[in-house]
Amino acid sequence: MKLLTRSTLYFLVIMLPIFAIGAGYLFKKFDKEIRHETDEELVNDKIQWMRYLDTAKVDNAVLLLKTPEFSLTPTTAPVQKKPKLKGVRIFQEPENSYAPFRELSQVISFHGQNYLLVMRKSQIEKDDLLKNIIHVMLIAFAGLLFFAILFNFIISRNVWKPFHISLEKIRHLQLSKLDMPQFEQTNVHEFNQLNDALNNMSTRIAQDYTTMKELTEDAAHEMQTPLAIVQGKLELLLQDDTLSEEQLKAITQSSDELQRLSRLNHNLLLLAKIENQQFHFTERTDMAAVTEKYLQLFDELMAEKQLAVEQTIQPASWQLHPALADILVSNLLGNAIKYNTHGGSIRVSLTATTLMITNTSDHPEIPPAGRFQRFKKQEVSHGGASNGLGLAICKKITDSSSLNISYHYQSPFHTFTVTTNS
Amino acid sequence: MKLLIIEDEPALRTAIQQYLERQGYVCEVAADFREAIHKVNEFEYDCIVADITLPFGSGLEVVKELKHMSSRAGIIIISAKDSLEDKLQGLELGADDYLTKPFHLSELNARINALLRRKNFDGNTSINFNEITIKPTSKTVFINERSITLTGKEYQLLLYLIANQHRVITKSALAGHLWGDSYDQAGSYDFIYTHIKNLRKKMLEAGGEDYIKTVYGAGYRFG
Repeated sequence: MKLLTRSTLYFLVIMLPIFAIGAGYLFKKFDKEIRHETDEELVNDKIQWMRYLDTAKVDNAVLLLKTPEFSLTPTTAPVQKKPKLKGVRIFQEPENSYAPFRELSQVISFHGQNYLLVMRKSQIEKDDLLKNIIHVMLIAFAGLLFFAILFNFIISRNVWKPFHISLEKIRHLQLSKLDMPQFEQTNVHEFNQLNDALNNMSTRIAQDYTTMKELTEDAAHEMQTPLAIVQGKLELLLQDDTLSEEQLKAITQSSDELQRLSRLNHNLLLLAKIENQQFHFTERTDMAAVTEKYLQLFDELMAEKQLAVEQTIQPASWQLHPALADILVSNLLGNAIKYNTHGGSIRVSLTATTLMITNTSDHPEIPPAGRFQRFKKQEVSHGGASNGLGLAICKKITDSSSLNISYHYQSPFHTFTVTTNS
Repeated sequence: MKLLIIEDEPALRTAIQQYLERQGYVCEVAADFREAIHKVNEFEYDCIVADITLPFGSGLEVVKELKHMSSRAGIIIISAKDSLEDKLQGLELGADDYLTKPFHLSELNARINALLRRKNFDGNTSINFNEITIKPTSKTVFINERSITLTGKEYQLLLYLIANQHRVITKSALAGHLWGDSYDQAGSYDFIYTHIKNLRKKMLEAGGEDYIKTVYGAGYRFG
C-alpha cells in the first residue's frame, strides 16, 4: 500500500465518526430550535384564541370546529393553568403517511363550560431537515476527501521529491560501474539524515567492493607468480639431456598438474568475479558467431572422436558479456565432446532465445542435487582434465545474465538448454 | 637480437633468461621499475618482456615511456592479472602482446620470435632450417624448394617447433599454443599426436629429414 493511500485511509477512518457525531449534534441542535419556535408559536396562537373565545358567543361556530390543527372539545376535566406541549405523529391522507406535529393541549373554561383545547402545528420540515443535514454533511465529506487526496498528492510530489530522487539513485546503483551516487542535501531535515546515511553507506560499500576486487586480483597474482616460476623451472629441467624417461615423465606430469592447479585458481577467481558482478555488460553479443567459433575451434576434437555433428544455427543476439559468452559456449560444447562416446553424436541448436546442446554419453544422468555446484564431479574421472567447476561457472554466468540453464537426460542423450528470459 | 626482461621475481627472471639465451638471444634483465626505466633509456633493445607489477612502479609505465621515446622495440607484457581491462589497457598503451602467468617458456619464445620477425622485416623474410624454408607472408612451406601443403594447424605447429628448436616441448604447451585457453576442454592431448604424425609424414614425403623426435614421457623435440 502506498504511503499516500495509507495516510488518506487513516484520515478518512478518523474523519468518518467525527462527521457522524457532528451531523447528529447538528440535527439535535436544529431539532430543538425548531421545536422551541413551534411551541412559542402555538402558545402565542393559544393566547390569541383565548382572547377571541372570551368575546365569542356561546353558539359560535368555532366551538364546533374540529381539524387536526384546532379542536375544542367539551370536557369535565378540571381547568389547567398551563398548556401541555408534546410531539405527536398524525396520519396524513394525501401523503398516506404519518407526519410529525407539535401539539398543545389545555383544558380551558369559558361561559362556565370546560373545554379541551388542542392545537397542532405541522413539523414536516423536520424530516427535510434531517435529509438536508445528511446531504450537506455528505457533500462536505466528499469535498474534504477530494481535497485531502489532492493535497496529499501534491504534497507527496513535492515534499517527497528528494526521497524519490534518492530512491531512484539507489535503484540504479551498480557496484561494478563504481560510480557511487551522491545523495544531495535537501531542505528537509529527515531527508538530509537519510541521505547522509546513504552517502556513508555507499562510500563504505564502494570501498569494500574495491577492496574485495583488489583482493581477488591480488590473490590471483600471488598464486600465479609462484606457479609461473615452478612452470618455468620444470620446463628448463626438461631440457636436461641426462634425464631418464621416468624422470621426464615425472616432470611432465608435475607440469601438467601445475597447469591444472593454475586453471583451478583461474576458474575460482572467475566464479568470484561473476558473483561480484564484475562483468557488467549492456550490449548484445552475437551468439551465432560465438557458437560457430567454438564449433570450428573444436572441429578437430570432434573429428578425433568421430562424432556426428548436427548443427542448426539461427541468428541470436543475447545480452551477455562476450567473455562470458565464450566461456559458456566453450564449457558446454567442451563437456559435450569430453564426455562423449567414440563415434557418438552432438546436436547443437541455436535459436533467437535458446541454445541447446545434446550429446551422447555412456555416463549416467547427472543427479539433480549439486548438478551445478562446485566440485560435484561425476563419478568417473576423465583423464584428469575435469576440475568440477565447469557447470558451476555456466550456472553462475546464466544467473548473473538473466539466462536459464536446464539439464535433461534421456538415455543416452544428455541435453543442456540455455534460454533467455525475455 | 637483444632482449630486456623486466621481472621482479628472481627465480622466474632467471628461468626466462636461461631459456631465451639458449635460443640464441642476448638477454638483459631488470628487477624493478627504476632499473627498467634506466635501461630502456640507456640501451636499445629489439624486444622487451615486461611484468606489470613491479617494485617502484608499473610495467605499463615502462610501456608508456617506450612509446614516448618512439622506441621500435617489440613489447610483450607478462602478467598474473588476466582481467580484460588490464589486457586492453596494455595493448592500448602500445604493447604488442600480452601473456598471462603462468605460461610456457616455449610459448613466450615463440611469441618473441613472431614479434621480432614482424617488427624487423615486416614479416617479409623467410625462416630457414636446413632444407626447410617458410615464407610467413604467404604461409607457404618449402622442402628443398619444393612446396608442401600444410593445414593451418600443421603450419602453426611447424613454426612453433622451429622457434623452439632443440628444446623439449610438452604436449600441453603445444595444445595451449594451437587452441588457446579452451584446449583444456579437450580432456586429452591425443589430437596433438595426429597433427604431429601428419606433419612428419608430409615432410618426409617431400624428401625432408625427420626432425620431430618424440621424447618419451615428455613431448617432442625438433632438430
